Amino acid sequence: MIAEPGQHPVNGLDDVVHQRVRLGILTVTHQARRVEFGFLRTALGLTAGNLSQHLAVLEKAGLVDVEKGYEGKRARTWLSLTPAGHRALQDEVTQLKRLIHQIEQGGSEPGS
Amino acid sequence: MTDATVPSSGTPREVLAGLGELTRQVRAAQRGAWFPLLLFGLLTLGGILVSRLTTSIRTVTTCPPAPGSADVPTSCTVVTQGSPLYWTLGLGLAYAAIAVFYVRRSRNRGVGTPVRPYILAGTALAALAAATAFWSLRQGVLEPGAPFDLWGLRLDPAAGTTAFLERLIGNAAAIGLPLLVLSWVERSRALLLLAVVYLAVELVPLSTGWAGSLGAPPWSAVPRLGVPGLLLLLGALGFGLAELSRQRKAS
Repeated sequence: MIAEPGQHPVNGLDDVVHQRVRLGILTVTHQARRVEFGFLRTALGLTAGNLSQHLAVLEKAGLVDVEKGYEGKRARTWLSLTPAGHRALQDEVTQLKRLIHQIEQGGSEPGS
Repeated sequence: MTDATVPSSGTPREVLAGLGELTRQVRAAQRGAWFPLLLFGLLTLGGILVSRLTTSIRTVTTCPPAPGSADVPTSCTVVTQGSPLYWTLGLGLAYAAIAVFYVRRSRNRGVGTPVRPYILAGTALAALAAATAFWSLRQGVLEPGAPFDLWGLRLDPAAGTTAFLERLIGNAAAIGLPLLVLSWVERSRALLLLAVVYLAVELVPLSTGWAGSLGAPPWSAVPRLGVPGLLLLLGALGFGLAELSRQRKAS
């Protein structure tokens, strides 16, 4: 979701993505390409239950792919971003940068 | 990795800073440059021993004419040193081992690896170096001053560009150029610096002074291979220690 020109950048922020834990999940998964549940949990300092709840929201929104399997006897869950997830993260970062720019310019829209 | 680094819910600048910190943590977990540097350092130093063992000085009676003269000498000395088979097998096995190392590490750490472009570049350049070495072998003993055939290009063997081209598609380039790719995928400035220094040592004419000549004693490969080999091993040591230090801080 990108704010239309002239709209305040806050209007371009997607609530599903902007939540700080989910934004962290998207960022780690984007950089890692594929990431295992345990790595995410440690990197973000979350409990397994909390992380699962946020992953369910992102999966329902079609932003992450969840792949469950076994390595030996050990169950492992791997995550990757869908194309929509990559776009959503990129849009979020763009909106945040626009917000910073707007704050620094004292409230005027970039380019206006 | 003990820091709870969920992005702050503060200002947009703080949120972006938090995302940047998360990205750095993931990159640190993905890095493993010490392993390829260690393998290639050992391979290069092993080349000294292979050079010593394969040095052969033979006197033959079928000789090319002497330069600037139509006279054909009755006998001449042919010196051969080094084994293209050693480098072909060594580079191939090294890149296979590096791929396995990164994939296993990725599974163990639970974070994907971006190393594929590095392995592809390395394998392609190693194949090119091997093909060039075997192409050169087919030409046999060259007449002194005769043009050197490099993939159909008739090159002056005395020209600096010929020496540079030979090195550019040689074994050292099959190690050094992919290291540039690795420094890019691992976003490591230190590795970029090391790769540039290594390539300068191997490709720039500066290194011709270390090359030794084929008529030199059998250990002539020591400076030619010893300097870049030690550089790679020192790099492996540095990156290995840096990784250990990061792991200690995180635990």
